[in-house]
Amino acid sequence: MTWLKLFPTLAMIVILLVAGHPVVGAAAAFPTENVTIEVWWHEYGPFTAYVKQLIEAYKKLHPNVTINPTIASSTDMNQKLTVALAAGTGPDIMDADASYYVAYHAKGVLEPANLEVFGVKSYEELAGRYVSGGLASGTFDGKIYTLPYQGNSMSLFINNKLFAEAGLDPKKDAPKTWNDLMALCPKLKKVEGQRTVRKAFEFPYHSPRWQLQDLQPMTEQFGGKILSDDGKTAYLNAPATVKALTLWRDVTKACGDPKNTKNTASNPNQDYLDGFTAMWITGPWATPQVQASPIKNDFTVVGFPQVDPAKPHTMVYGWAWGVNKNRPEKNKLVAWDFVKFMLSKPDEWLAKAGFVQPVKGVAETEVAKKFPFFDVHMKDVQTASWYLRSEQVNEIAQAVGRAVEAVVYDGADPKTQLDAAQAAVEKVIKK
Amino acid sequence: MGVIATAAPRAPRRFLRLNLTAKQALFGYAILLPTVAILLVFRFLPMLQAFWISLHEYDLIRPPRFVGLENFIDLLWDPLFLNSARVSVAYVVFSCVPVWVLSLGLAVLFNREIRARNLFRSAAFMPVVMPMVVNALVWTFMYHQDGVVNTILGWFGIDPVPWLRSSTWALWAVIIIGIWRATPYYMVIFLAGLQAIPNEYYEAAKIDGADAWTEFRHITLPLLKPTTLLVMVMSVIVAMKVFAVPLIMTGGGPADSTRVLPLFIYQTAFEFFKMGRAAAMSVFLFAAVMVFTLFQIRLFSRGED
Repeated sequence: MTWLKLFPTLAMIVILLVAGHPVVGAAAAFPTENVTIEVWWHEYGPFTAYVKQLIEAYKKLHPNVTINPTIASSTDMNQKLTVALAAGTGPDIMDADASYYVAYHAKGVLEPANLEVFGVKSYEELAGRYVSGGLASGTFDGKIYTLPYQGNSMSLFINNKLFAEAGLDPKKDAPKTWNDLMALCPKLKKVEGQRTVRKAFEFPYHSPRWQLQDLQPMTEQFGGKILSDDGKTAYLNAPATVKALTLWRDVTKACGDPKNTKNTASNPNQDYLDGFTAMWITGPWATPQVQASPIKNDFTVVGFPQVDPAKPHTMVYGWAWGVNKNRPEKNKLVAWDFVKFMLSKPDEWLAKAGFVQPVKGVAETEVAKKFPFFDVHMKDVQTASWYLRSEQVNEIAQAVGRAVEAVVYDGADPKTQLDAAQAAVEKVIKK
Repeated sequence: MGVIATAAPRAPRRFLRLNLTAKQALFGYAILLPTVAILLVFRFLPMLQAFWISLHEYDLIRPPRFVGLENFIDLLWDPLFLNSARVSVAYVVFSCVPVWVLSLGLAVLFNREIRARNLFRSAAFMPVVMPMVVNALVWTFMYHQDGVVNTILGWFGIDPVPWLRSSTWALWAVIIIGIWRATPYYMVIFLAGLQAIPNEYYEAAKIDGADAWTEFRHITLPLLKPTTLLVMVMSVIVAMKVFAVPLIMTGGGPADSTRVLPLFIYQTAFEFFKMGRAAAMSVFLFAAVMVFTLFQIRLFSRGED
């Protein structure tokens, strides 16, 4: 009698299991109930427009998913995210400068990539879809936590018209080394009395993070590095860094006028776009801005200047998507699925936002073939290290920026300033 | 039973037996209660919490770790903090003193019977009503090599000054904006103080043959003492908290020359995520403002004793 009473219940359990209800170890099914996820990203016109298109397209595929976007300025995003994550109000999908993810990982707020969503069996298999080192910024202890939607090279943009006015050919005379670049400066730089009316070349002075962006590859070109791979030792006053900063100063004296610039954090390329600077180092994402400026298509892009072109060192930086670990399982599943959907068309990212995803096969797409100087950007990516990865990246950038500005603006000695920067960074790292 | 029956009604009667003064006091406290509660929750509790955080190492996400007075001791030897404190003091001194003089001078001027006085008063007050961010952006353009300021200097044969891109000039550029914005605000306060001085004093002085300077020195200045104290205390506190202009215009540079303490506190908290250290700096700033304010009050009350 007891068995007879229990039988229907047992039968029901067996039927439910066989019918595909989730069991431990099996792939989690995409939720069929309504799910709302929050996505945060940084403001950049073409990028924002494209992500909004992607949201609409995804909603058509999954009508039960609602995606709420929040857009913040690139300079505010890190603090907004950190505060929200601390308060438990962080988004499901976050967008951050790749160099910040080391801190988010250390604070335990990142969910590793869902391999089943990406249809791979291991992180190695997922990494295999990207160019060598393409996922280095978001890989921790062998697990992939973030996926970049842009991995930008830093290359030298030349204003063809200004070159022609100086009697130079942007193809033949384009500099390969820093010495080549300095040799061009007397022809390109124009000063009237005390007023600089044209700069030949300029380093960035609107943001310490941009300064580190240039000093890092220059230091590597002299055979050094800013920070050890484990992030526990700084080499800011090592001979290679001192040589790099000394070169920075000499190039600035010959080519630029850092006291005179309209570049700001929100308009970092302004002097180049205005035709005030003939040569400027920036990323491929600036291409649509250049084309929309009076320069239009009259520009040339060449590789990041080198100390020794036989041993090239460049820098790659970017922004990446990450998923918040402290969200419900169904949200995390949908979040990774949406990230996969967003990243599925690298050629569209290039065409619509000017961002280069460091995935294999981008160069072969039609869009890449039409994108101005895409081969140059990709060549610079191949010889690049990712932007400094450290929990203290902002403090290191501040220390570097302080040294650079003291040398450039006040004529201070590079070694003395880098000694001070080293002391400041060592203190921070030890803590 | 009988005891319970007779004791029960006594309590409310005792409550009602409050005299009028007590009732008025109770009513006053009841009215004050919401304000006090708001101040407690949104002002004093955060201040206490900031002090508590200053005793910890805390990055917002990981749990705070108690470090005692370590953050405070570290700051005493931190060249960046000491530099920021020095920049803040320089900003306070070089912006507040001109503001006191200029705002009083303008108040005296606009207190006179001059033509279109109200128009001038309103025009002078314009910088105060403009949002700080707008001020900062407009001045950034004005300070450019080809901006208004350098163009005017050029008329006098002076070469362009790299206002925001020189560690010598950047702090002065920020100070000039501080003076430009604060002067009309304190002018209005001085104006109110001037209008409270009875005209009879000036009439009597005139009968005694006093000239304008004597009137100003012996009537205006002494009677403006409470207003002057208010202006001095307020202007120093506001100047100590300057933040938006250096953040927008220079980001603290070049080479830390405009990294005032509030900006450094903000960067330490929200760029470096060292909440404990930032809170310790805030406690220092609070203490400095308190000491300075008490010193000023003491200085002004000495004469009255």
